[in-house]
Amino acid sequence: MDLINKFKTRSSQLVDRGLNRNVRVAVTGLSGAGKTAFTTSLINQLLHAPIEEHLTFLSVNAEKRMLASKLTQHEELHIPAFDYSNALANLTSDIPQWPESTRNVSQAQIKCRFKVGHRWAKKLQSDSTVTIEVVDYPGEWLLDLPLLAMDYQGWSKACIKYLNSERRKQYSEDIQDQIKAFDYKAVQDDVALSKELKEIANEYRSSLMSYRNEYNDYGLALPGRFILPGSLKDAPTLDFFPVLNEDVLSLNWDQFEQGSSLKVLEKRFNYYKEKVINPFFEEYFTKVDRQIVLIDTCSVLESGYESYQDLKGTVERLLEGFSYGRSNWLKRLFSPSIDKLMIAATKVDLVPPDQHSAMESFMQKMVAQAKNNVGYEGVEVDTMAISALATSEPVATEHEGDKLLCVKGIEENSGESVIHYPGRVPDKGLSRQEWSKLNLDFAPFAIPELSKDESLPHIRMDKVIEFLIGDKFI
Amino acid sequence: MSDKPVKFYSKDKAHKDAEKLLKDSILKDSPGSPLANPIESNALLPESAVNVGFKGDTSKPWLKKLFWPSLSAFVVFAAGYEAYGFVTGLIEANWLLGAVAGGIASVAVVSGGFALFKSWRARRRFKKRAQQQATLQQMLTDNSYGKAGEVLKEVTNDLEEYVNVTLLKTDFEKKKQQVHNDQELIQIYSGTVLEGLDKMAIDIVTKHASEAAAMVALSPLAAADMALVAWRSSKMIEQLSRLYGCPQTALGRFEMTKRVFKNMMLAGASELVADAGVELLGKSLTATISAKAAQGIGVGVLIARMGLQTMHLCRPVPFGQDNKPRLGQIRKSVYQKVVGLVKTASTGKSDKSEDTIENKK
Repeated sequence: MDLINKFKTRSSQLVDRGLNRNVRVAVTGLSGAGKTAFTTSLINQLLHAPIEEHLTFLSVNAEKRMLASKLTQHEELHIPAFDYSNALANLTSDIPQWPESTRNVSQAQIKCRFKVGHRWAKKLQSDSTVTIEVVDYPGEWLLDLPLLAMDYQGWSKACIKYLNSERRKQYSEDIQDQIKAFDYKAVQDDVALSKELKEIANEYRSSLMSYRNEYNDYGLALPGRFILPGSLKDAPTLDFFPVLNEDVLSLNWDQFEQGSSLKVLEKRFNYYKEKVINPFFEEYFTKVDRQIVLIDTCSVLESGYESYQDLKGTVERLLEGFSYGRSNWLKRLFSPSIDKLMIAATKVDLVPPDQHSAMESFMQKMVAQAKNNVGYEGVEVDTMAISALATSEPVATEHEGDKLLCVKGIEENSGESVIHYPGRVPDKGLSRQEWSKLNLDFAPFAIPELSKDESLPHIRMDKVIEFLIGDKFI
Repeated sequence: MSDKPVKFYSKDKAHKDAEKLLKDSILKDSPGSPLANPIESNALLPESAVNVGFKGDTSKPWLKKLFWPSLSAFVVFAAGYEAYGFVTGLIEANWLLGAVAGGIASVAVVSGGFALFKSWRARRRFKKRAQQQATLQQMLTDNSYGKAGEVLKEVTNDLEEYVNVTLLKTDFEKKKQQVHNDQELIQIYSGTVLEGLDKMAIDIVTKHASEAAAMVALSPLAAADMALVAWRSSKMIEQLSRLYGCPQTALGRFEMTKRVFKNMMLAGASELVADAGVELLGKSLTATISAKAAQGIGVGVLIARMGLQTMHLCRPVPFGQDNKPRLGQIRKSVYQKVVGLVKTASTGKSDKSEDTIENKK
């Protein structure tokens, strides 16, 4: 009998290993896209699924095969834990608040126990566990990928081009003068030099940040950790800036002394590349199986043509990391393992349900090229219009004699119940003229009163979960 | 639809008038959302416009079409005339005999007319179902919103006439949300209400197929086999079509049986190959035991295939690639049934033969 039991556990282990029931899902998006809310909702839905069986489109849940799920401690102890309980407490408190935004990588791990559904696997084990690791990290960091292929000189040249555009000039003029006046040849005391570099770098950073805050544009000149330093706040490796002097750039840099300012800057840039970006991507690319990119389509639509183009470029660069086959060096450096990518338009609870498809197809047009590139590499890509936490409910009302589908929620400032029609969402890319005619207003709603004991209201989270991890529950 | 953003505060009239869509639809059971535009019939292109192919024989269609109606009208007319002559002849001979014959004739006319009427209704149902299928199929690929509710409501009404689907319906009502678009709504419907029916349908198919297999395996007459197949299959088709809310009567069933056979012949090559492989395997395995048992299994699988085709024809939402019913499961129970029969028969025989041997001693 003992032998049989032993054999049973062994075969069960083998099946688990053979089917690979661990899945690492990475959640990313530019700041404000709703990463933390998404992660909170994802965990919440999975924790409530076995009891409430409310995830209609998650097949394992619809087939009533989910037995139980719980939050567990993750194996990668160096990554901070995602504070789920705190986020949930914030959302469900008397004065509900959105969870704090992502400033660093964080991870949560959920284990789901389920009845095995596969015809043959069922014979070897009756139930099994899927381990889902959810990693939440700033999308800004992904934008550092092109830096890996550049050296300091090349980066500086790219920055000059970037900073001298019409729109950016007014923001960068002062700091450009300051950097141009900098003496690259000078050899001076370490500490004094560090201090000087820090000042200029801070200046450089803040001037570009104010530009970024204005236009929401993410350029190469502003590496990811400059925007969100994570644990690297005030670290000297972030105290560098591009060389903006054309004459210095045209020189042969071998003639500079080892301790010269230029060499120090180059060293910092290289350090940033090797010790900050590289490990991040290594950990990220080799371990992550599934990826979701969140895009706040509502605010894109509210802003104008220029920022749409900027964001489009940024998203394309963000997704470039996934079409790794194109760049051979990336493949050589890491061996990426992502096989499913979802690009989701978030916050669709601000849009009446009949316009969700327009929202989705608008975003689809925005990322079409990038999506195509990723799909070419054999990664399964899908798009969806979702809301991690629905703050509204759809209602129909009459306006100028016509039925109008609207969303009803609580206005953020007044706390008053309000029915809102945001205008007609375009379902395709727009020309500059069409953009100027666009009249949309997505007023965010306040969080309604939520119960801690029930799953959070959502829109299409079940479909997202099915796409990302549904195939692991076999 | 307005193009500009609008906001209604709680003091506005529009705010007070606004209906809660989801709650309303559950309470009043109103068909779909108020926004639901009635499905424009021209929204769906006729099938011929979608598929590339022959336009159909257009040469003298009216002449061709006229043949069957005119023939049957002629036969009915002739029969009526003859019957009239017959009855009047009888009345002349003996009024009582004539009255009885006349009474019988009128009962035949009335009941025949009623049957005809019923079959006409059944055929209309069947056509309507085909229409519903096409509509829902179209919606599954479109990105529409608010149209599916009405069609699904209609389908549910059809189903409810013959089957008790209250439990499945409440499950569907529970799962649907106002934010779901047509595609999602149909998928949920297919996954709740129709899946429940599918399970029952598979049971029916399995039952009939294995019964027919057992009968054929045991029947002593080859000629009786054909009659058996016809009887069992028509019984099965009747039950299945009832289950999916478009019951077919004898005349209509004939049409349906024709369609089923046509579909079976036209079924995708891969499917056919897979099925044939399964069949062959079953046969060769059993043929070693008994030729008659192998025939039984063959007939069982045939009936199972007919049953699955009937399901395809009657199900309001077409099967997807994942939820398609497979022959494998049914074949297994057919096989088990026949093999079980053969086993009991053979053990019974061997017992007997042992007896006889012992007796001889």
